[in-house]
Amino acid sequence: MKSQSSRQFISKAFLYSILVIATLLSIFPFYWMFVMATNTNEVINRIPPAILPGKELVANFTKVLNTIDFFGAMWNTFIVASITTIGVLILSSLAGFAFAKLHFKGKNALFVMILVTMIIPPQLGLIPQYIIISKLNWLSDFKAIIVPGLIDAFGIFWMRQYISSNVPDELIEAAKIDGCSIFRVYWNITVPIIIPAFATLAIIKFMYVWNDFLWPLVVLRDEESQTIQVALRGLIDNYVRDNGMILSGTFWATVPLVIIFLLFNRLFISSLTEGAVK
Amino acid sequence: MKKFVSMLTAGALALSLVGCSDSNEKASSGKSGSDEKVTLDFWVFGSTGYQKLIDEYQKDHPNVKIKLNEGELNDMHNNLFTSISAGSGAPDIAMIEVSQMEKFKEASERFYNLKEYGADEYEKNFLDWKWQQGQSVDGSFQMGFPTDIGPTAMFYRTDVLEAAGLPTKPEELSAKLNTWEDFYEMAKTVKEKTGKPMSDSPELVFNALRDQQSEHYFNEKDELIIQESVKDAYDYTAKMIQEGLVGKNSLWTPEWGSAMADGSYAVMPGAPAWMMGVVKGNAPDAGGKWSLTNIPEGAGNWGGSFLTVPKESKHPEEAVEFISWLTSPESQLKSFNDMGLFPSTPDVYENEDFLGTTDEYFSGQPTAKIFAEAAKSVKPVYMGKNYAIVNTEILTALTNVATKKADPEKEWNKAVERIEKQIGRQ
Amino acid sequence: MTGVNTEKASLKKNPLGTKRSFTEKKKEALAGYLYISPFFILFAIFGLFPILFSFYLGFHKWNGFGEMEYVGFKNFNLILSDPLFWKSLSNTMIMWILGTLPQLLIGIILAYALNAAIIKYKSIFRVSVFMPYVTSTVAVAIVFGIMFNDQPFGLFNIIIGWFGMDPINWTTSDWGLKIAISTMVFWRWVGYNTIIYLAGLQAIPSELYEAATIDGASTRQKIQYITIPMLKPIIILTVFTSTIGALQLFTEPLIMVGRTYREEGLTVVLYLYREAFNNMAFGTASATAIILFLIIVVLSSINVFIANRIGK
Repeated sequence: MKSQSSRQFISKAFLYSILVIATLLSIFPFYWMFVMATNTNEVINRIPPAILPGKELVANFTKVLNTIDFFGAMWNTFIVASITTIGVLILSSLAGFAFAKLHFKGKNALFVMILVTMIIPPQLGLIPQYIIISKLNWLSDFKAIIVPGLIDAFGIFWMRQYISSNVPDELIEAAKIDGCSIFRVYWNITVPIIIPAFATLAIIKFMYVWNDFLWPLVVLRDEESQTIQVALRGLIDNYVRDNGMILSGTFWATVPLVIIFLLFNRLFISSLTEGAVK
Repeated sequence: MKKFVSMLTAGALALSLVGCSDSNEKASSGKSGSDEKVTLDFWVFGSTGYQKLIDEYQKDHPNVKIKLNEGELNDMHNNLFTSISAGSGAPDIAMIEVSQMEKFKEASERFYNLKEYGADEYEKNFLDWKWQQGQSVDGSFQMGFPTDIGPTAMFYRTDVLEAAGLPTKPEELSAKLNTWEDFYEMAKTVKEKTGKPMSDSPELVFNALRDQQSEHYFNEKDELIIQESVKDAYDYTAKMIQEGLVGKNSLWTPEWGSAMADGSYAVMPGAPAWMMGVVKGNAPDAGGKWSLTNIPEGAGNWGGSFLTVPKESKHPEEAVEFISWLTSPESQLKSFNDMGLFPSTPDVYENEDFLGTTDEYFSGQPTAKIFAEAAKSVKPVYMGKNYAIVNTEILTALTNVATKKADPEKEWNKAVERIEKQIGRQ
Repeated sequence: MTGVNTEKASLKKNPLGTKRSFTEKKKEALAGYLYISPFFILFAIFGLFPILFSFYLGFHKWNGFGEMEYVGFKNFNLILSDPLFWKSLSNTMIMWILGTLPQLLIGIILAYALNAAIIKYKSIFRVSVFMPYVTSTVAVAIVFGIMFNDQPFGLFNIIIGWFGMDPINWTTSDWGLKIAISTMVFWRWVGYNTIIYLAGLQAIPSELYEAATIDGASTRQKIQYITIPMLKPIIILTVFTSTIGALQLFTEPLIMVGRTYREEGLTVVLYLYREAFNNMAFGTASATAIILFLIIVVLSSINVFIANRIGK
């Protein structure tokens, strides 16, 4: 009995130390970002650099607000990221379900095709993709981000892997015998089981859209339509760079993400406890 | 299914093919009456402060609405490139930085020739060399109107020079620095007396020397001529590095920024007017320790922009009218007072207020006057579309000499090889 | 669309009942095509054209503005005979090993720790570990630029100083630059993989572990016989995606060497990006993309094959 509890203590201490180290390493650059967001350029470039927050917290952020439409851009980003994420969750889970549990001709070949689309380096597609968007007249339109954003090979791959290993065939078979339609099998049987997969994909996709800037930069030209990452680029001046202001903008643009992560995370956990009852 | 996919593909392709050709037609239809309300999209990068001037212009021209779009330098040029390449989405007026100008000259048929809109009339407003940078080699195609420029001067630390027992007054210092040979001798003195290098960045030394040549990397036939034109500048810089007279900092790094505050070197040769803001930002407490004087053997130019009118614009007349106003001496003086954009119009250099501009931070020097003198002495130079490729590779070679103690001759040869390889593929 | 073959196969594997009428099978196939069709339709519109365009460009000379000129396989010759291309390929491989493979290993360990029943404050740990994934590149560029300072006072130079090493020129030396980029890759992506593994671990029923505990299995045995096999589909997914990600490495090296394009930190995608948007040689850039595509196909096949063996 005693040896077991001491062993548990050791493994607990071990796990905690791993997590604490990982947390410190992950968080440190953020802390530093915060430090720099509260300092002037001179302090940021000083060697060795500052490690304590300075006094420019308000001043730097005020400069950000004077230079770009920070809250407008945040709202745009929120809308775009939310719609894209919801769309991807629906489309990916349907396709993943089809690939994992339905039978149709050419299934494997089609699945491999989806994987192959991930292999193509996207950097060169910029000009032809832009041509398509401009011909559709979607420049400075959220559709230019949302619609291509729905193409998510990873999401389908992820859902297929998750569904195939976590939704038992017997369950589907039973539902089928009860006379469920295929969509009901998806909606009533599969969806409740894969809520954690939804939460994970939602986090990943939402954050991705939030932080993406290469593509939005090309297609969102009007200032009213810009997402936050595009707007933040506007803080970078030609020659004279105010890093304190730039990092202040980036820091405050990250804060809502933490909140959103915690919300998704809650969904993630509560769904698991529910699932355990079944 | 297959049929459907191929249909869609065909559709997408057809869509895009149609797209490539229609931009010119659209543009040519654009003859608009003077009463008609006209909106001009105007792309700029960085902080130009142009909104104020736009407001002023719109007051006098109620039929014109100008929509300013500010972006980051590279972003804006990339967007312009994409739009021009795809044939749609370009603005009515685009600001192009001098280093990007040659690239877009490759597509000059997608821009209006401003000569057809009375550009000749404005030529006298501008510095010759700057005006020439905005046109084709033979001068028949004027692609842009000049905005600001970046004439260079030598920035120096009075405290470091004083410690080395050298003069700190601009005139006295300048008198001792007539040639680059003098510069080298002074560097040895500084090193001996203070242990500090003369300068911290190989790039700034090399640039200062290069900018005094009448030809840089290419001749007007686009032949690579670096062996004749800038090899001496390279050798000189490399020698300074090897003897510890020039440091190894790369521009825009934190160590480069903090060195400005620390005074860990004596001079910054070949720094443009806008560098004053960089120095102040990095070393706000070093006021009075910095000063300015002439570069030995003459000044150069670094930075500045042009305003162009892409062919997609339906209102070239209104656009040209606006940009000719925005680049006029009066407007440029306002931009200088407002945002410190250094004017490209020599008329302004005669202005009393302008000449009276002094800066306590730079030991009370008449900064505008110094840079105006420099601007007048700049030599016109042909850059060529591959300027950036060559510049990057030479810089890499110098950095290797500085940080890896590599052999300058070998690095030079490697750089030439890389340059030729890249240019050979276009 | 449904032939005899399908019928036989469906009798063996199909979970949706064994005795089903023809229309039911047809319905199922139809539903299957319907559910996957949005991807293919959207891809046909927004993805296929760019790909065809790239393949077309690979055999042409184009500066982005003017006429395209057919040059056959010349672009491929130019690329394959360029030592810098091979250098960028070897750089990419080295950074794959330094930055990507450790991610997967550490990701599993972290996910395991985050999933352990005895750990409290899980959501705080989760957010922290995931945070690097949400950092914008501008911020990363500034922060890491300061950390990987060449000066003896740079953070990483101080750290290696503790181990008695001399300061390194992170931004110019061969290994320094690769280590710096790999560190950034590792830092930005380890949390991403952790979250994916965690979702996989969460899905393993706790009854399995309980039963194993009753049978007296050790932790190591539980990991070997329950965790790894149950996690296999997810491991295959991460191996596949991170291999692709590593071979397409672009953002992190762009942050470190975007201004200088120093060959010590040049990856294949950065090489092709420079070719296209800096040097205006879209033909050779497209040829590079095609070569890279083929390399990735080969490597990811090998990868998935190996991953399939593991845990069998």
